[in-house]
Formats: sequence, structure tokens, C-alpha cells
Amino acid sequence: MKNVEDFVALLRDELALPLTAADLDRGLDTVEAWDSVHMLALCTLLERETGRPMPLSEVLEAPNLEAVYRLAVAS
Amino acid sequence: MTNAPPTVAPGEGTEELAALLREGTLAAEYPRVGRLLAGLSDDALGRAGRLLARLDPGEVLAAHPDTPAPVIAVTGHGTLSALVPALTAELARHGLLARVHLSDFDGWVLDLADPGSALYAARPSVTLCVLDPAVVADELPLPWRVADVERVLEEKLALAERLVGTFVRTAPGGTLVLNTLPLPRELTGQLVDLKARAQLGAVWREANARLLRLSLDVPEALVIDLDPLLAEGGPARDVRQSVYAKAHLSDGLLSAYAREAGHLARRSAGGTKKVLALDLDETVWGGVLGEVGPEGIATEGSYRGEAFQRFQRVAKQLSSQGVLLTAVSKNDRETVVKTLREHPGLALREADFVHIRANWRPKHSNLAEQAGDLNLSPDSFVFVDDSPFECGLVRRELPGTAVVQVGSEPALHVERLLRDGWFDVRELTDDDLVRPRRYREDHARQEFLHTFDSLDSYLRELDITVRLAPAGPQELARVSQLSLRTNQFNLTGQRLQPAETHALAEDPAALVLAVVSADRFGDNGLVGAVLLHREGKVLHIDNFLLSCRVFGRGIEQAVIAAVLGHAGESGAEEVRAEYRRTAKNGKVAGFYPRAGFEVVAEDASHAAFRHMLGPLPRPVGHIRLTACFERALHDAPQPSA
Repeated sequence: MKNVEDFVALLRDELALPLTAADLDRGLDTVEAWDSVHMLALCTLLERETGRPMPLSEVLEAPNLEAVYRLAVAS
Repeated sequence: MTNAPPTVAPGEGTEELAALLREGTLAAEYPRVGRLLAGLSDDALGRAGRLLARLDPGEVLAAHPDTPAPVIAVTGHGTLSALVPALTAELARHGLLARVHLSDFDGWVLDLADPGSALYAARPSVTLCVLDPAVVADELPLPWRVADVERVLEEKLALAERLVGTFVRTAPGGTLVLNTLPLPRELTGQLVDLKARAQLGAVWREANARLLRLSLDVPEALVIDLDPLLAEGGPARDVRQSVYAKAHLSDGLLSAYAREAGHLARRSAGGTKKVLALDLDETVWGGVLGEVGPEGIATEGSYRGEAFQRFQRVAKQLSSQGVLLTAVSKNDRETVVKTLREHPGLALREADFVHIRANWRPKHSNLAEQAGDLNLSPDSFVFVDDSPFECGLVRRELPGTAVVQVGSEPALHVERLLRDGWFDVRELTDDDLVRPRRYREDHARQEFLHTFDSLDSYLRELDITVRLAPAGPQELARVSQLSLRTNQFNLTGQRLQPAETHALAEDPAALVLAVVSADRFGDNGLVGAVLLHREGKVLHIDNFLLSCRVFGRGIEQAVIAAVLGHAGESGAEEVRAEYRRTAKNGKVAGFYPRAGFEVVAEDASHAAFRHMLGPLPRPVGHIRLTACFERALHDAPQPSA
């Protein structure tokens, strides 16, 4: 996963969520297609993509998807 | 990164699913989904499940109202959201549309204890109550000892047993699925006394054994044993997901669990397979018979030979439990038969097969003809072959046939064959055990038939006897099985789980009649059932089932004549019956009218009939029928709707 476009593609293609880059910095509870149950699946996918563990306790507190993306590329 | 992950081939199925979802045509194309999912890797199937879970089942049903769409309730202790896409994909693999009802987190006790719960209101056909080790671990005091674990286990088991009781009373006809609890090392490792650790292992396993025994004692309860799934590899949980998100079972384990649940749902919907059709070269033995000759095939005494021998022994083991084995091979017939008859190293012999087809024609044609000869639908076949070409062709030409593609490594054949529980049944009946022999006798009947000029003279010589009588307690499992397995001669398509059959047999206003037949070639066993109930002067035939093995011999006419005769003699003034169209029972749509019933209502999918007991059909000349309706029928206290 090289950039934020890859991240959006992952959300769209792997999780089948109809999201765009514009949704990333919105609060999670205002993103219509998002449901908290997607977070665990997203973490598993990100770990598979990056080959690195995600800091799960921080991910679960992330205010928006952009924060999740930053954790994925930083970890 | 859209297409970045080097998806294991064949991953095209998932790409096509994604495209259909994007274009908004997935619901319209739903009948193709099963084929798109065939042969996907676990990862690809996971993705396919997430895609399919986005689809509204209502949309699929609007486009394809006949799609079998069982409601699957999911409840349990931990976070189970990963189970929803996994179940959706597994059911879709079997041509089913999952309507998943996911309960709130940790809702299992309220869901199952309260007859008014949303779970019961969803009227699920299968209810999955997913238990995990935290059910016990969460309630341990600090510090804890083995005796504490034992006490909590006892409380939880007693609770589970009570909930099963409530389920049985509240959701008749449903199935409740529990599971064994994996024992985490996190618990055993906290005990430094090795004797105490062994004791913990023992009490934990005793609790699991008690759970498993629920399956033996309660027909509505099934317990999935997680041990064999875990023994195949993979962790029972991801500790971080367990600690932070209360997802106490790993995605991998939940996927394996969903696979088992998919088998249950398929079986409940009547999708159990009956025939195992085997390719021979590179499937049953190593090498190409036509090239290396009988002495050159690998079947024992070499590394590869031993691997093929294992597969043969498993096929034989399945056949001992009523699975019909056939061979479908591109070879010269004589060489194949001679090899199966004489090769000393084969565990599978000529006599193990009910049908052998070896020629150079396309395999799908051979399978279709084999199905015709056995009087079965190709949908009841599982076809095993190592050739991607043959597998692809059969998938395309016979979409209802399950295709198991084995690879070039024969050591993996057994796992591939057993992976999908194709032949699982709730309970084997006596009839299952002798089924292969009966089909071989059928083959002898066919040969005998060819010596006659007319069907009538053949039927007279066949010397058929039929006994029609209330099903005894030991016959009820077979009656339930007939209703679950019989698709063609099933006038309403209604399926009866074992517990429902028992309830009917005990209902004073109903009568479950068993049809048992025999002929000069042997005993056919319990081949049919007629379900009756009476309201005042009206006798209702709720359903009529007959094994496809015996229809067309006049047994169905003889039985309906006897039922009508009994109706008149017992004071009924009319007999009512109905037909409900299913995907498979079109050929019996005219059965009741041919027996003299008049149509009282009819539309495309349903017809209601009435017989006023004026002139009755004549008994069938070539059948000797004895009928007993000994269990008196009483008026139902409340006419059913």
C-alpha cells in the first residue's frame, strides 16, 4: 500500500464500501457506508497488505479513516 | 493497488463479482454466483463474502423468487461480525441465499431464553449460537483454581441445556447449532502445578463431551466440534482482537465454522448428495490406464500408489454408509472393468460401483445418462476429477452437480473430497446402509427389463409387494430423511426434520404412513410416505413422498387407491390434496388428477384437489398390497389454517 489512493481502493474493492477520498477525514459516524463492524476486517486486511501488525487499541479509537490510514503506514 | 494482490488463481470469480456489484447487476445475476465461487482460495472467498454481504437479499428474491433463502440467526458471546460475510459466501457456494439475522453482542442468553425475542421472531431455519472460551474465562474469580473452572463450566452447560429446551419448545422445526470450546493456552499456562493443569484439561474436555452429547439426545440440537477444524491449523483466536474487540474466535476459525454451517444449511434445504462419481486415471489410481496398462497404474507399494490407495479406502468407507459410487472414465470399457475386477492392488473393486461408464464421450453426457439410469437427478451427484478441463465442462453443463477438482498431488485428494461434507446426514438409517446393494439390484432389474417386450409383462414378472402402514418409531428417521432427500416425487416440497416427524407421528389427528416395498430382486425398504390428517368428514393428504428408485412401477397408484379406499371405509366424505411446485417436482404435477381428483384451485405454483370418493381407482393388478391404517384418526381439536 503506497498511498492514500491504494487505501481507498482497498476500502472499495476488498470491503465493498462505496467510499471516496473525500470520506477519509469525515467523522466515522457521519460516513454513511461505514459501520464499526468493518473496522476489524479492515485491520486484518491492512495487516495482510503491509505485512506489519496494526496497533489495534489505537485503531479502535481512530476518529476517522484517515487516522487509520496514518496508523497503517506508520506502523 | 486495485489489482495488486497476486490473487491465487482462479480469482477471476471475485473480480467478476466485484464488477457485477459495481454495475448493480449482481442481484439479477445471482444464479451464476455459485459457479463464480467454485474453486476460490480462502482469501478470495473471504473477499467474495464481503462483496456478497453488501447485496440486499430482498433484491435477489425479487429477481429470482425461487432462490432458496434460509434465515440464519447468529447469536453468541463475542463479536461475530466476521461470520456474516463468511456465511453469506458459504451458503452462496451451495446455491443458497443467506438471510443472516445477527444479534446484538453477547445476546445469546436473552435471545434463546425469551420466546418473544427478535431472534425467534425472525423464524430462522438454522440458529447459530457461537460460544467461545471467554464464556468461561470472563467469569473466573481472581485468583482462580481448577474447581472454579469446573463450577463455571457446570453452570454454563446447565444454562445451555435449559436454552436448548426453550428453543425446542419455541422454534419447532428449527435447528440450534452450538459448538465445543477451544481450550486456550492462556488458561492452562496460568497454572504452574502440572497436575492441576492436567486436571483443567480433563474437566474442560468433559464439558465439551457433554456438549457434543446434546447432539445425540436432542434432534433439534447440533454441536459443531471445533477440534477437527483447529487441528487443520490456524490459531483459535487473534489475542489482540479478543482483548480489544471481544472477537474471541479468529477469522480463520470463523470461516471454517461458516463452512460447516453452510453444509448444515444445504442439508436442511434438501441439498444432500447421493452419488460419488469418480474419474479413474489420476483420481482413483495414478497413471493413465490406456497408456501404462493395468500393471502400470499406481495403486499400492509406491509413494504415489499409497496416496491413491488412501483415497480409494475413503471412497469405500463412504460407500459403506449409503453413498453410491460410480465411475466415469475416458477409457475403453473392457480394460476398466477387467482392471477393477482383477487388479490385486485396488481397494475399490468392480462390485463397489453401482455404475461404471468408460468410453470416449464427454463426461457431462455420461453423468447425465448415469443419473437417468439411476433415476436420480444430476444435482445429487458429486463429481471428482483431476482435469480442469473436465471439471470446467461439467460445471458449465450440469450446474447442479457438485464438482471436486483434485490436483496433481494425490496425497491431498482425501482432504478435497471430504472438505464439504457432501454426504452428511442427520442420522444414518438402516436404509442407507443397504442402499448401494439396492441400486446394484436395480441394475439387475434393468437388465431383466430388457428381456421383455412390454413394460406390463415386465411389471407382472417383477412380483412387487407393498406394505402401507403407520410408520413405527424406528421408521420415523427414514421418513424424515425421505422428505429431506426426495425432490422429484415430493408433492409439496415440504421438508420434515426428525423432530417434526416424531411430533406428527404423535399427533392424534395425523397419520404418518410408511410405504415399504419388495420384489423378486430383493427388499426395497421404506420407499415412501403419505402424511394425512383429518378434519371432520374431510381427509387431507398433506404430502406424498416416493423414492425416485421405485416410481413408475405402479406403487404410487396402488398407494393412492388404498388411501382413497380407507377414506371411504372410515366415514370420510371427501379427500383433499395439494401440489406445490418446486424446481424439481414438475413431473408429478398431474399425479392427483390422474388418480381421479378434481382441481378446485390452481395457479402457476400451487394446485388444490378434491376427491369425492365416487368411483375409486381400481387396485393395480401387478402389485400385491397390504394396507393397515390401524392408528385411528381422530378429529383435530382445532382445524388448522
